[in-house]
Amino acid sequence: MLVNLIKRISGTVVYILRELGGIGLMFFSGVYWAFRRPLKLNYIFKQMEFIGVKSAGVVIITGTFTGMVLALQSYYGFRKFGAEGLVGTTVALSMTRELGPVLTSLMVTGRAGSAMAAELGTMRVTEQIDALIVMALNPIKYLVTPRVVASFFMLPVLTIVSDFVGIVGGWLVGVKLLGINEGAFINKMTKYLELDDIYNGLVKAACFGIILSVVACYKGFYTKGGAEGVGRSTTESVVISSVSILIADYVLTSLMF
Amino acid sequence: MKQGRLSPEFKVGILVLIGFIILFYMSIRIGKFGVLSDKGYDLMVYLDNANGLDTKSPVLIAGVEVGRIRSVKLDNFKALVRFSVKEGVQIPSDSIIAVRTQGVLGDKYLEILPGKEKKMLSSGEKMSNVLTSPSFDEIFTQVGTAAKKFGDTIEEFQGILGEKEKAGIKKSIDNIQTITGEFKDIIKDNKNSINSVIANADDTMKGLKKIVTDVESGKGSLGMLIKDEKLYNDAKDTMASLKSISSDIEQGKGSLGKLVKDDSLYNDAKDTVKNLKDITDGVKKGEGTLGKLAKDDSLYVETEKAMKKLQKGADGISEMTPITILGTIFGLMF
Amino acid sequence: MNDNGIVIKINDLHKTFASQKVLDGVNLEIKRGEITVIIGKSGGGKSVLMKHLIGLLKPDSGEIWIEGSDITKLNEKDLNEVRKKFGMLFQEAALFDSMNVIDNVAFPVREHTKLPEKEILRMAQERLRNVGLAGFDSKMPSELSGGMRKRVGLARALILDPDIILFDEPTSALDPITALTILDLIKETQERLQKTYVVISHDILGMFRIAHKVAMLYNGRIIEFGTPKEIRQSKKEEIKEFLKATGIPGFSGGDR
Repeated sequence: MLVNLIKRISGTVVYILRELGGIGLMFFSGVYWAFRRPLKLNYIFKQMEFIGVKSAGVVIITGTFTGMVLALQSYYGFRKFGAEGLVGTTVALSMTRELGPVLTSLMVTGRAGSAMAAELGTMRVTEQIDALIVMALNPIKYLVTPRVVASFFMLPVLTIVSDFVGIVGGWLVGVKLLGINEGAFINKMTKYLELDDIYNGLVKAACFGIILSVVACYKGFYTKGGAEGVGRSTTESVVISSVSILIADYVLTSLMF
Repeated sequence: MKQGRLSPEFKVGILVLIGFIILFYMSIRIGKFGVLSDKGYDLMVYLDNANGLDTKSPVLIAGVEVGRIRSVKLDNFKALVRFSVKEGVQIPSDSIIAVRTQGVLGDKYLEILPGKEKKMLSSGEKMSNVLTSPSFDEIFTQVGTAAKKFGDTIEEFQGILGEKEKAGIKKSIDNIQTITGEFKDIIKDNKNSINSVIANADDTMKGLKKIVTDVESGKGSLGMLIKDEKLYNDAKDTMASLKSISSDIEQGKGSLGKLVKDDSLYNDAKDTVKNLKDITDGVKKGEGTLGKLAKDDSLYVETEKAMKKLQKGADGISEMTPITILGTIFGLMF
Repeated sequence: MNDNGIVIKINDLHKTFASQKVLDGVNLEIKRGEITVIIGKSGGGKSVLMKHLIGLLKPDSGEIWIEGSDITKLNEKDLNEVRKKFGMLFQEAALFDSMNVIDNVAFPVREHTKLPEKEILRMAQERLRNVGLAGFDSKMPSELSGGMRKRVGLARALILDPDIILFDEPTSALDPITALTILDLIKETQERLQKTYVVISHDILGMFRIAHKVAMLYNGRIIEFGTPKEIRQSKKEEIKEFLKATGIPGFSGGDR
């Protein structure tokens, strides 16, 4: 019993460490090949289109509604002591510092991260990755680096879009629907919002982009066990990415602000 | 890659462009494009208490932001605050600097009250004239003084009555009549709102629990104001005096005989007395200290005055938010 | 250097996966310009052996000499130089799902040469014509049948004119007629190009149609190596058993 328990615990620890190590190695090799010529620009752009342009719709919708509900909720609270003007500040700060980057990253994880893991997983089980190696081409460089680089650049872009539509959503609900004084709404927002709030949010988003792409690539790249394995890798990549993003969010926030 | 469809590069380019436009727009709107920190010069000041001051807290002159705090450090048990001042803003060497509070959030900032000196401060110099803002305790001391003056005023009022200047009395009665009538109306009209205000005040009080506790236990001087029996008794005495005068008038005897001829005056006086009686009854029935305050009309007059004094006294620290809220609540109640 | 035209020489190759011996001392010499078929049971280590040839797996011990260099000792960069001499047709063809047929075939050329785009397309189209798929340029791999995918895979394997082409189960998962056309295609291209072909398969009947040499892999060793005729006349029990499994009377020991 006890021996079994110890075995299981140590097995789990070893598994987690191995996963962490694998993800770390994947990160380093992915970044390493990003600085080796020739850079596969057309691959990067294809991934940017997939990760950035095609996620824009879902990011805009989630961003807008998040801003709207933030306005609604904070209005309820602030009205109790007559500080409705602060709704704009709350929406803007929450969006730029926290919800913009995190929600965008989680949406991209769900949409693009899972697809990355599934795509690379399929390539692994159908020997397409081996085919690349046999052609004397480095699969990391062709498959992982473009995805990591594209995520790194696209997440901040999506985040700033999300920040903006979130604030617009908050403005719509706050000013147009709940009738908060527009001057107070805008002025208090611009007064308390700092450029650093926006920039740090974007830095966070870039970090989340790396996390989600590296995890998805790692899980996909080392898929085992046919179609079933692809499904497993996809699920695991989404779970690990999401959890890692939230943990990293705390760490980065405590470091930055 | 030209297949009639848009290339990935093009679509990505559009998205990135949109991102940059938004970022640029937001940066402009926030209006802090980082220029503040680049140009200008630095000044320093030693403060006894830099509580709430932070890096990037604003420095204002006449409400206009002219700089930002760069650092707050402890130096020889004083807070050494270093702040930047925008290029082109000249500060006279005898200017006064003060820590102020802004907005509901209680954000602290530095306010510079420019002096008249011809000599201007240059980079790295220390400002020595610090205006120390009164703390909560000082405010309550001021409230106490106001309450004392309140009592004095009522005594003066009684003194006036003793002089028996008829014209003066007539005028006073007239005034009292109009005023009491108005007050009655006000109280009647505002009964609901008074109730809701009291309810609101209750909510607010929860947030200001500490102050409330102090007030209830009569610890602070504000508590004294509310609980002071002498004050109440003075007010009651005043009422009694008024009553005896009015009963004299009613009987049409004594030196006020002349006045009796004047029917309208008589009626006025009668009404007045009735009003006063109503109110005093209300006061007597009035339960709790707030109830007393709310129903006691003559107290109202003086309370209002006291409040005005209180607000005036607090003017120098008008940004002290909790007091402002309290003031608002009391103002609404009366 | 050119010792009797031996291109690949495998010396005492060992490989163990999780306490299971897969390769237990494999020795094999493969001659230039011949089709060498490695036959063995499913899961008998054929694929593992082939992955060693191209450096996808590293052996526990042993050597693999390819044109004068031991690839088991090479680093990834030098290994890639050797790999450029190889072409490979994977079991499921391993076409890139994200590319259409012509891009798949042209891919190695695009990545390894600086030829003008026009020339690359011309080359790719010629190879596609050679495997009988002219006009399929813009089809996606998902739209093709298994046999067609293998043809595209062959076209891709051949496009850089490699010296050695590896085939992993070229006839598996195909109907007998399609399998035959693929085999004929392999034979036809080999005769035309005179390159070294290494095929692994469990399909004895099919392989005997095309093989110049056959190596029988059994329990992690090559137990017999020779021409198809020599194999059929082998006296070894294991081989007789394997040949009988084809169900054709007289196949074993016959001389057809």
